[in-house]
Amino acid sequence: MGTKSKMRSFLAVAGVASLALTACSGGGSGSTAGSNSGGDVKTLTVLDSYNNDPDKSILQASIDKCAAQVGVTIDRTTVPGKDRMQTVLQRSSSRTLPDVLMLDNPEVKDVASTGALSALGDYNVDTTAFAGNSLDAVTQDGKVYGAPVPADTLGLFYNKDLLAAAGVEPPKTWDELKAAAAKLTKGDQYGLALSAAATYEGSWQFLPFMWTNGGDETNLDTPQVKEALQLYVDLVNSGSVSKSVINWTQADVKDQFVAGKAAMMINGPWQIPALEASPNVKWDSVQIPINKAGQTPTAPLGGMVWTVPMTGDKAKMAKAAEFVQCTGSKDSQMSLGKARHTVPVRADLHEEYVKEVPTMKTFTQQVENARARTGKLGKDWPKAATTIYTAVQLALTGKASVQDAFAQAAKG
Amino acid sequence: MHAGLLTALGILFLAVMLFPIYWMVNASLQPSGNTLTAGFFPTNPSFDGYATAVSQQGKNLVTSLLVSTGTVLLTLAIAAPASYALAQFKFRWINAALLVILIAQMIPGIVIANALYAAYNDLGLLNSIPGLILADSTHSVPFAILILRAFMIGIPPSLVEAARVDGAGLIRAFLSIVIPISRNSLITAGLFSFLFSWSDFLFALTLTTTQAVRPVTLGIYQYLGSEISNWSAVMATAVLSSLPAIVLLLIAQKYIAAGATGGAVK
Amino acid sequence: MPNMQRINRESTPPVSAPRNTLSARPRFSRENVTKALFVVPAAVFTVLFFGYPVVKNITMSLQDYTTKTFFTGEAPWVGIKNYATIFGSNLFTPALLNTALFTLGSIAGQFVIGLALATFFKRRFPLSNFLRSMLLLPWLLPLIVGSATWRSILDQDSGILNRSLEGLGVIHDPIPWLTSPAVALSAVILVNIWVGIPFNVTIIYGGLQDIPEELYEAAALDGATGWKAFRNITWPNLRPVVSVVLVLGVVYTLKVLDIILGLTNGGPANATQTLAVRSYQESFINFQFGSGAAYSNVLILISLIFAIIYLRANRRAVDE
Repeated sequence: MGTKSKMRSFLAVAGVASLALTACSGGGSGSTAGSNSGGDVKTLTVLDSYNNDPDKSILQASIDKCAAQVGVTIDRTTVPGKDRMQTVLQRSSSRTLPDVLMLDNPEVKDVASTGALSALGDYNVDTTAFAGNSLDAVTQDGKVYGAPVPADTLGLFYNKDLLAAAGVEPPKTWDELKAAAAKLTKGDQYGLALSAAATYEGSWQFLPFMWTNGGDETNLDTPQVKEALQLYVDLVNSGSVSKSVINWTQADVKDQFVAGKAAMMINGPWQIPALEASPNVKWDSVQIPINKAGQTPTAPLGGMVWTVPMTGDKAKMAKAAEFVQCTGSKDSQMSLGKARHTVPVRADLHEEYVKEVPTMKTFTQQVENARARTGKLGKDWPKAATTIYTAVQLALTGKASVQDAFAQAAKG
Repeated sequence: MHAGLLTALGILFLAVMLFPIYWMVNASLQPSGNTLTAGFFPTNPSFDGYATAVSQQGKNLVTSLLVSTGTVLLTLAIAAPASYALAQFKFRWINAALLVILIAQMIPGIVIANALYAAYNDLGLLNSIPGLILADSTHSVPFAILILRAFMIGIPPSLVEAARVDGAGLIRAFLSIVIPISRNSLITAGLFSFLFSWSDFLFALTLTTTQAVRPVTLGIYQYLGSEISNWSAVMATAVLSSLPAIVLLLIAQKYIAAGATGGAVK
Repeated sequence: MPNMQRINRESTPPVSAPRNTLSARPRFSRENVTKALFVVPAAVFTVLFFGYPVVKNITMSLQDYTTKTFFTGEAPWVGIKNYATIFGSNLFTPALLNTALFTLGSIAGQFVIGLALATFFKRRFPLSNFLRSMLLLPWLLPLIVGSATWRSILDQDSGILNRSLEGLGVIHDPIPWLTSPAVALSAVILVNIWVGIPFNVTIIYGGLQDIPEELYEAAALDGATGWKAFRNITWPNLRPVVSVVLVLGVVYTLKVLDIILGLTNGGPANATQTLAVRSYQESFINFQFGSGAAYSNVLILISLIFAIIYLRANRRAVDE
């Protein structure tokens, strides 16, 4: 096949491109964004990690729409989310990156800093319509490297029947949360389920409490962060939350909730299809409870991002940028957001979106105030995330006090 | 002890060992694919997972079968002569060779996978059955050599020497004397090579990039990961993927039993 | 060496050039070339599929190898910095200790149960072959599915194991299998024993089959049956197989990864961190491939030590 020749042309271009990114963007690339240049490009390769139905076919429909619009056929590959980065690295080293690559938003800065992604500005892709918080994760040195797809975040789901039976209102503050969870705990039913696993999933679930309380990942050794951990410890020690949360994934948390073994859960809107498949569970959602009056519920912003890797084939890269531009359009964001229970990342769509998908009201508000995980730390985020989940594990198993947990975890 | 009692005891041992597998089958029949509220029996079975699995995994099962069979053949072709040499020839570097083989067992698969990806990419071996057979053989070749050598070390040299006196070349003597004698150990080594390859997941994941060639373990994995896990499909596929292998196990066991009762060395 | 000369002289067919047989360097005799052909395929395979990755792993451990390297190909040499990092880490000693406990516990459990079951199945009874082959089933289960199933079985609140034990009145409080740092390692070992039993049973059973029946018959005449027969006949004759099983067991167990990742991911509170888990997490979670490679090299070194001990013991056994 043409692998060899592709490799050679890549080497030729990449050598220049990585040295002179800025020069490129000022020069001839402006014309490549036009619709008739690169007209000889017939196919684009796409790599994403929506490997399961229904997501897989929903995304396919969305991809096909934009493919038709820019006039290409798509050769799509999906990998499991867990192995996305490994695949990207392998393909990066063998010079076989796809024309269009979907990354998780915290990965974008890391991959961009290797030089493997092209800045969308080089192709005059307009990114101004995207909400500011969604761009934090994809902006490196003032350049935007990706177009976010509709986003998700975390909220508090509750079982309407169980809360009504116990006479409990959905909690708005941490105190209410503790009281409600305690009241809802009886028999083999826990008040609340969440994931505190020794993975990034565990850190992601801790963030809403930490951020809402004013904690910050740049310094974890603060009272604000420790108060959030104290909340976790109180919930587990009082028995309102199972000790097993240190091994639960978010899918496990959903299973507990669906099985009626947890009256409330911290989880995201991607679980809604699964919840709707279990009609005996009547549920609703509210935003993450706050600690003190005046705080704003702040959860992490989740979601994937379309990027244009440096493949070396200029015509294809330009076409890929056109494709990516299309995915940011109102139409594309709206239809994908509706189909996947994710929030369009354009503020100008939120009102209409909530009208059409009322179950997403809470999550739409939550997304508006959400924060990008890599917004402050960039590619140092993984280290902080590791410290966070380790500290949570140390405190919940009693291996360290809430006071010492973060300091001890940081030494790992 | 009474034979019937032994059978009962055997069934008990097996039941304890296989309980997790039963639990998996149980899970595959639960409507939500989870066992949190499940009793000991799937009282309200749902076959949705199986419907998904059957419609999507048929081709992958064939791929797995081809790759595993190929791995067995390649492994035995490489390992049998090498084991004989290591067991019977008095080369000075045999201990060094054994050391290398033992270390080879130790290399984390991910290290091999990463190195192979780049090489395969240049050689056009990605997404190919031969590529997977070669890679999967890294699971089984060192293992097969150690197992076969342990058996072959006990073959009396006089047997081969007698054949040589009758005019047979070394290779012919190996094929006509050593191989038949070692049938049991070859079946054991082949059996494990098959199982290693059948359950391989790492190379399937790293060395295939399209749907074209996809072993069933990766088919299972595709149901996991990303954001939603379809446990009933996972469990159902795991159950289905066990079936062809179980059949082969039963056949192979028959041969082992036959070899044992027939008497290897006359 | 004298041995080989003897075999050579006896067995070299007359067709082969006599000059070679008499020459001072019999290494290049046709016989020896044929002999070498026996190992060539294995040697080539080893160099390509093991040698290259190992060399790469060693060089990687001496470099600052990160995500960037994959794209640019640049990996600055940093000497032993990666090793200094991992040895200086708070997790190194616990991981080393856990690796040792995990390996010892797994091997002991797998081997003892495997030997017992193999001995049991050696007796002929109806269905014995069928039952024994079904015993291999856990092997067919992809580890990722196996560990997910076990995680559900071991769940503290709703897992079937705790529910059954409580139902039987064996325990009053649920055992925190995977949630207590004090218990988790034992639970992980338990699952790994389960995974390893089929392997042990099959190999040991094969070894038992190779012990000639006449030995037992002769011993029975002397009144040695049961335990005595096991100690005097089974065990000594099984020794080569036992040593292979044990050394392979060690080598395989040291690098076990999937089971731990699937069950606890190294938690709770790092209680099930092993060197293999550290290596994986450094490389594929933190993308510090240099440190990850350094951890794997420590693992390879440990197994090298085991391999040498094994070979020494083996040679002594042969010399006796």
